[in-house]
Amino acid sequence: MAIYKSAIEKPVTTALIFVAVIVIGIYSFLKLPIDQFPEMDPPYITVMTTYPGASASEMETNVTKIMENALTSVDHLKHITSQSKDNISVVTLELEWGENMDEAVNDVRSFVDMAANNLPDNCAKPVIFKLSTSSMPICQYSITADETYAGLDKILNDEVVPQLNHIDGIGNISLSGAPDRYVYVNIDQEKLDAYGITLEQVGQVVTANNLNLSSGTIKMPQEQYQMQVRSEYIESSEIENLMVAMSPQGQQVFIRDIATVKDTIKDLSLDEKTNGREAVRLIIAKQTGANTVQVCRDVRAELAKIQKQLPTDVKIEKIYDSSENIQNSINSLEESVLYALLFVVLVVLFFLGKWRATIIIGITIPIALIVAFIYLGLADSSLNIISLCSLTIAIGMVVDDAIVVLENITRHVERGEDPHEASIYATNEVWVSVIATTLVLVAVFVPLTMLSGMAGIMFHELGWIVTVVCCTSTLVAISLTPMLCSKLLKAKKVHVDEQGNLVDDEAGKKGWYERTVVRALDVIDEYYARSLGWCLNHKFVTFLILLAFFGLSLTPAFMGKIGTDFMQQQDNGRLSVTVKLQRGTRIEETLKTARHLEARFVELVPEIQLINTSAGSNDDATIAALFSSTMNNKIQMTIRLPKKWERDRDIWTIAEILRQEMASYPEINEYQCVVSSGGPGGNGNTVDLEIYGYDFDKTSQLAEQCRQLISQLPGARDVNISREDDRPDIKITVDKEKASRLGLSSATISTYLRNRVAGMSCGYLKDDGSEYDIVVRLEEEDRNSISDILNLSIPTATGKSVKLTEVASVGEYWAPPTIERKARQRIVTVKATPYNTTLGELANAITSEVVPQLDLPVGYSTHIGGNVETQQDTFHDMILLGLMIIMLVYIVMASQFESLRMPAIIMFTIPFALSGVIIALWLTGRSLDMIGALGLVLLVGIVVKNGIVLVDYINLMRERGYELNQAIQMSGRSRIRPVLMTAFTTILGMIPMAVSSGEGAEMWQPLGIVVIGGLTVSTFLTLYVVPVLYGVMSRHGDRDKQEALRKKFIFMDLKVKKGDEK
Amino acid sequence: MKSVMIVFNQANTGRVEYMLDVLGIRGFTFFEQVQGRGTNGGEPRRGTHAWPEMNSCVITVVEEEQLPALLESIKKLDLRNEEVGVRAFVWDIVATV
Repeated sequence: MAIYKSAIEKPVTTALIFVAVIVIGIYSFLKLPIDQFPEMDPPYITVMTTYPGASASEMETNVTKIMENALTSVDHLKHITSQSKDNISVVTLELEWGENMDEAVNDVRSFVDMAANNLPDNCAKPVIFKLSTSSMPICQYSITADETYAGLDKILNDEVVPQLNHIDGIGNISLSGAPDRYVYVNIDQEKLDAYGITLEQVGQVVTANNLNLSSGTIKMPQEQYQMQVRSEYIESSEIENLMVAMSPQGQQVFIRDIATVKDTIKDLSLDEKTNGREAVRLIIAKQTGANTVQVCRDVRAELAKIQKQLPTDVKIEKIYDSSENIQNSINSLEESVLYALLFVVLVVLFFLGKWRATIIIGITIPIALIVAFIYLGLADSSLNIISLCSLTIAIGMVVDDAIVVLENITRHVERGEDPHEASIYATNEVWVSVIATTLVLVAVFVPLTMLSGMAGIMFHELGWIVTVVCCTSTLVAISLTPMLCSKLLKAKKVHVDEQGNLVDDEAGKKGWYERTVVRALDVIDEYYARSLGWCLNHKFVTFLILLAFFGLSLTPAFMGKIGTDFMQQQDNGRLSVTVKLQRGTRIEETLKTARHLEARFVELVPEIQLINTSAGSNDDATIAALFSSTMNNKIQMTIRLPKKWERDRDIWTIAEILRQEMASYPEINEYQCVVSSGGPGGNGNTVDLEIYGYDFDKTSQLAEQCRQLISQLPGARDVNISREDDRPDIKITVDKEKASRLGLSSATISTYLRNRVAGMSCGYLKDDGSEYDIVVRLEEEDRNSISDILNLSIPTATGKSVKLTEVASVGEYWAPPTIERKARQRIVTVKATPYNTTLGELANAITSEVVPQLDLPVGYSTHIGGNVETQQDTFHDMILLGLMIIMLVYIVMASQFESLRMPAIIMFTIPFALSGVIIALWLTGRSLDMIGALGLVLLVGIVVKNGIVLVDYINLMRERGYELNQAIQMSGRSRIRPVLMTAFTTILGMIPMAVSSGEGAEMWQPLGIVVIGGLTVSTFLTLYVVPVLYGVMSRHGDRDKQEALRKKFIFMDLKVKKGDEK
Repeated sequence: MKSVMIVFNQANTGRVEYMLDVLGIRGFTFFEQVQGRGTNGGEPRRGTHAWPEMNSCVITVVEEEQLPALLESIKKLDLRNEEVGVRAFVWDIVATV
């Protein structure tokens, strides 16, 4: 028994099956986590090797090259890059997106093990490190304090962090810029020399007086005691009163005589300020697989609780919270889905004019959508931008099947059949063709699941969701819809009057709907039939007009009005500013500039809500340090602005204002102002010009030339060079002969120097369970110039002291930069961010205007990389995918019509969809990006559906024997309503997406614009192109068919002779 | 009016339809998958393993003047390929609604 028949015969079972589906769907929906994108592992693996004592170029030859050679054979490797610095080599592998990273890491490990034998002997074992989403911070808070700043470290570590650690799914919590308590013993060099004491002696005294030691057991007649010397410092002031030595004059020398003891916070190396107040940055990451939104919400709640327990001057402020963006994006998409639903229902109501029919259709939409949630639940996915976008796309399509079934049933019922019988037989008539049209959609969306790379991760889910939703809607259309029709539709009301005549109760009763909408639709039908008739009589002219339109519509593309991007930039209200001052600038000087910039920024952009600035470097290697590379001459700022709808200027204008301000500072060497956009990959929207070549000076010079040339391009901003400038070092060369005569070696000299300058670590001061470093070193005035360094006293083996200048010379020296390599060649990259132009256009400008001007010697080459490369790869994939989809759609249609010609006729509408897309992009001033390209691919499937409806009906009319032009005109008149209806449901379903201004809306707007533009134009033209082409291509074939039939059946020409009679 | 029952091998379906079209006979009732065997040596058509073939049957009601042309055409069809086979039988029509 056919499915629709069982469904109609067993309404209770059918209804309850769908109720069960809805319940499971709602359950899955409630369980679904919320995230920005489908789970994707960033495909980066880093291999880090240390080789103490090797310079950058030695690292390159002896370690990096060997590792690179071994690692190039890793499967699915996309790019291999490396950095060789003094002592350390870092090789980074970028694999194809979507590969299994566990397998890849294993693969890498075996190659590293193989290569390890070829590494130099002193080399440490290479460390393999996988970047994962869980190592990326999900939110950052700034904690500011005034009076309690010095104790903030303790408050944070003892109260805040432990409480946050209770949160489910929280990952690493790190603090940046927390003040550390240190006890410094700053010694005066001259006094040391005067008393003839060495710094090491002081250090030993400090260490020796700070201990707890067990000294045996004392046994008394009855009891037994442990004996302990407990002589740890309780107060730092105790150190001052220690005696170091006797002076030659017999005086006792105390530490207070030669040094000052300071119990303070650590010397400034990393400075964190929020809105100019001393601040600590709290950086929070989540565990892999944890729900970002949930973790951030819990952190927020927990911090609000903690805030109450903290001293009143401690303030916790949000720097950024990625969950807000996610939550807002998802909310605005959910809104789009609901609006789409409403619009689609309204369209159906408008065209059908019957509320019962509208309800029957309306029920299909939620059921189909709910099944998508079940799919998401089973696939362990989340409610994310992609899955919700897919739902919006699907809404307009899911009603089509139900409409076809319903329309046929209604037609039967209006003829006077009983709804129960009509539902069975009317569904029987159309169910095969309903499944066939769904097959076309499946042919479009299933190939999407096969895309590779980053686009693959994004569209995999989309492909499956739309397929699942469309298949569900078909299933509903041939089971639930007929069942509901059999119950809800009312048979036509008729009765027999006294004379025995049949009277139609509804005849002559015309509601406002019949008077207005139906009349308007009738007018449209009539007008269309007439214009189609004209076109059929003037096929040549019609074609010329269409061709001219097509040509004209392409001009914006040829004139370069349509740019290409990888993804639209989003205005999330967050800017990151990086400023680089002259190399070697002292941190205090850097801070002055930072404070000045902060003040100016707030003045120029009063919208600014928060500026978090960090400058200097943190010497503790925390995970957070991986994501911020501040140095003494570098300032990093995160600027938070209000949401985009709460301010007048958009973020790009504000960024430009800040850039112009920074450009006017002579001390600023390089600056960058990046709009933080929450896109996947997250590597900024830049065009990278890669310059390959071995010689440093030559490539640096080329890079500088490129930088200047690119800076002159109108659309280029934030142009900078990846290679760091040479770093000024102070180099101390030991005279080995002199040193050894004095019983010194280079090793001892370097230890002594370290003790004097960096400080000698002398145990800890214990206070309340925490330990604080005690450091003995020279006073700052005695070690802050080259002459001071030369003047340092070094103890010799004989107990005397010599000045450093006697055994060594000091010189300034430029340390070579980090050696960067890509694809096993030395590289320097010049990056540029587009402003008021698109990524594609900027890349074109660079290749056409900058690259030819370079004088590249043999062995040097350039290449455009970065997001542009990913964009090109993706577009390439998309084009292949588009071709594949066209093929598949052709196959499905050809088998449906059992004709090679009919699909070709329908396919002619696809170019017109392209016209529509170009016009729509041109009018809205958008660029074509990955999401827009997806829209183009989808259009292939959507536009042919209209053609199918039309051609199918013309074929039908032809088989019924109508003359060609008459058949075409009749079909046109009868099919214009369903064509317009399905087109309008899809177009209106997309409108909320295209006009949405919510957070993150920039990303999916192009999809809406592309589909609406393409579908509008192609629907309108389908109504003319397809019938006219049909007319052109059919006439001859059909005359031949009759001729062929006559030739085949020759028996009619036989003569019956007398003898044949029986 | 006469009713003509045309019984024929399924393989003749296209030809029978064509014949009716050419003769301008519009009305008919078509039975598919009918079984039978001929009196004068006609091979059984039973859809079984032994006799796998099947017949179809068309009953058409025609005016008396159309009858000779129709019967002649059926004869022609039979001549075209006797092994495939076609037979026609004519009844009188007594009344219609």
